[in-house]
Amino acid sequence: MGVISVLSKGELERYDRQIRIPGFGRAGQEKLKRARVVIAGGGGLGSPAALYLAAAGVGRIRIVDHGRVELSNLNRQVLYWAEDIGRSKVDSAAGKLSRLNPEITIEAVDETITGANAARLVSGFDLIVDAMDNLPARYLLNQAAIEANIPFFHGAVYGFEGRVMTVIPGRTACLECVYHGATLAGEKFPVVGVAPAVVGCIQAAEVIKYIVGVGELLTDRLLIYDGLSLKFSELKVKKDPECKHCRHLIKGNRE
Amino acid sequence: MSVKIKIPAYMRSSTDNLEAVEVSGKTVGECLGHLGRRFPGMKKRLFARSGDLFDNIIISINGESAYPEPMAKPVREGDELGIMMVIGGG
Repeated sequence: MGVISVLSKGELERYDRQIRIPGFGRAGQEKLKRARVVIAGGGGLGSPAALYLAAAGVGRIRIVDHGRVELSNLNRQVLYWAEDIGRSKVDSAAGKLSRLNPEITIEAVDETITGANAARLVSGFDLIVDAMDNLPARYLLNQAAIEANIPFFHGAVYGFEGRVMTVIPGRTACLECVYHGATLAGEKFPVVGVAPAVVGCIQAAEVIKYIVGVGELLTDRLLIYDGLSLKFSELKVKKDPECKHCRHLIKGNRE
Repeated sequence: MSVKIKIPAYMRSSTDNLEAVEVSGKTVGECLGHLGRRFPGMKKRLFARSGDLFDNIIISINGESAYPEPMAKPVREGDELGIMMVIGGG
């Protein structure tokens, strides 16, 4: 008895080139279609991550941001164009992404992520893409991912620099295991759009690999992208048995 | 002990554009102290006035995080230290 594909004729044509990748196939595409992804932040990282996850056919994307489009966003936040200045970022993003791929569901959530709403905003979703622009919000989301036991795909930029890491709660080092609550001055950070373009695309690639179940994930290693020398390096990291966020999940620490 | 410290591109204005600096020391702290004496600009980038390493600087030994107590970690001849700044922009 043949298996009935959940993919329409149009979807099979749209995703034809990626379905041809060994290990991907129709089964991988169907996994993407069933996937529910939260993109936390609709800025420099959220723009490329959302564009490529929508293009790849992730079935449900919730994009969370509370900002309005400003002229100074347009050097890097490629989901927004001059005509969008003054509009809600998530409404503008949802419109663009739906026009790119009408087969998927885009959910625009116009809220600031806080300790009070983080768990609700990620509830019912399979994973979180960390596309925030500040460390405190990243720590909140790292904790929300651990509490919900869903993967967390971290990315960050500064100037021409980038960092990327994938976290599988309880199995691999989390953001707190690596950064130990490090803080930064709250100044505007410098950045050129190509840096979040590189980092956001790597985050999207990790998400696709995780959902489809191919390749090796960027776990227990923080990828360091040095755009000025155009070099990639890695910082090997380990789960911290004293980690404030995930120590209760580490084997040996469980009661 | 002769140890190589790799300098990130954005910090090289403080090291006469050197990509790596050879220093000597038995611990990470001694090596970074040597670096800071040779290049005072690096001292300002790495250490607070109290003398503590800034909490947004991560030190690696041969590619592995030196946490916890990075300054006290011993180093061996030929080791390579890395300096990484925590960043949070998006």
